[in-house]
Amino acid sequence: MFRVDPLANPEPLIRRVYSYVAYRVGDGPDAEDITSETFERALRYKKSYDSAKGEPVAWLIGIARRCIEGRPMSPELSSEYLEMVDHLDLEDGALRRIDLSAAVSLLEERDRDLIALRYGADLTARQIAELQGAKTNAIEVALHRALARLRTHLEGSEPAPVRKSQAGR
Amino acid sequence: MRSWRRNRESGLEAELRASRPEPSSELVNRLEARVRHDGRARSGSFRVAFAGAIAVFMLSALFSVGGLGYAATGAGSAVATAKRIVHSHSVPQVHKSASRSQYSNPKKKCPKGKKRVRGVCKRVKKAGGVNFRRPPFTG
Repeated sequence: MFRVDPLANPEPLIRRVYSYVAYRVGDGPDAEDITSETFERALRYKKSYDSAKGEPVAWLIGIARRCIEGRPMSPELSSEYLEMVDHLDLEDGALRRIDLSAAVSLLEERDRDLIALRYGADLTARQIAELQGAKTNAIEVALHRALARLRTHLEGSEPAPVRKSQAGR
Repeated sequence: MRSWRRNRESGLEAELRASRPEPSSELVNRLEARVRHDGRARSGSFRVAFAGAIAVFMLSALFSVGGLGYAATGAGSAVATAKRIVHSHSVPQVHKSASRSQYSNPKKKCPKGKKRVRGVCKRVKKAGGVNFRRPPFTG
């Protein structure tokens, strides 16, 4: 049997992995390093890819998650940074992106991961459920809640404290 | 924060997708080159393995129909022909022949008064009995 090369078309995969990583750790050199490390590992363990278990992007995101977990925690975007950005004369689109990434960085780790998987890596709720070993419905509900919290952050009001029972779901 | 107040209802999800962080073109090019280089290296080794497999297959196919023996015979005859062409011809020397036994190593004559007996020259004794003399002159 011929094996499927998961990295046959690398460009869209690089973009999706980077977007996921950047939503998780913030846009910049850290995200670039993690993306590079992800692809290095993917090349090393290319034979372990099984097309029956999922698409290449899901496999790569799994590697990227392990790379992120293996790294020391980096300082998140602070409110001082947001204040500084407010005074800069930037385009509307750029400002919106900065606002958005800042709001994402304020989310809980699990919410941020879900947002990154859904809107960064562009995975479906089903793919996320397979990756996390959860049910699709549970992922959809968790995503809905994460979006609600993100909205709260974007509106500038203090977010409602996340209960442990909710965060663990 | 301002723009979100303006269009938060128009689709936070769409905004999240549209504003997703993009990698620099340098990173994309570097990683793409890395992946493609690795793929080429692997396909090179695959080509070598493929050529080896084809060679083994052809040899086994030839072996099954006696092609190897045929090829070996052909090669042997070619070698023999080449030897015959390249080999320098010299006058054949016959070491054992009738003429050689007759003319070579001539036997030495025994000195006067001696006779060869079993390959060795020996003195021959005169017969002691009758002396041959010339008949007397009668006239």
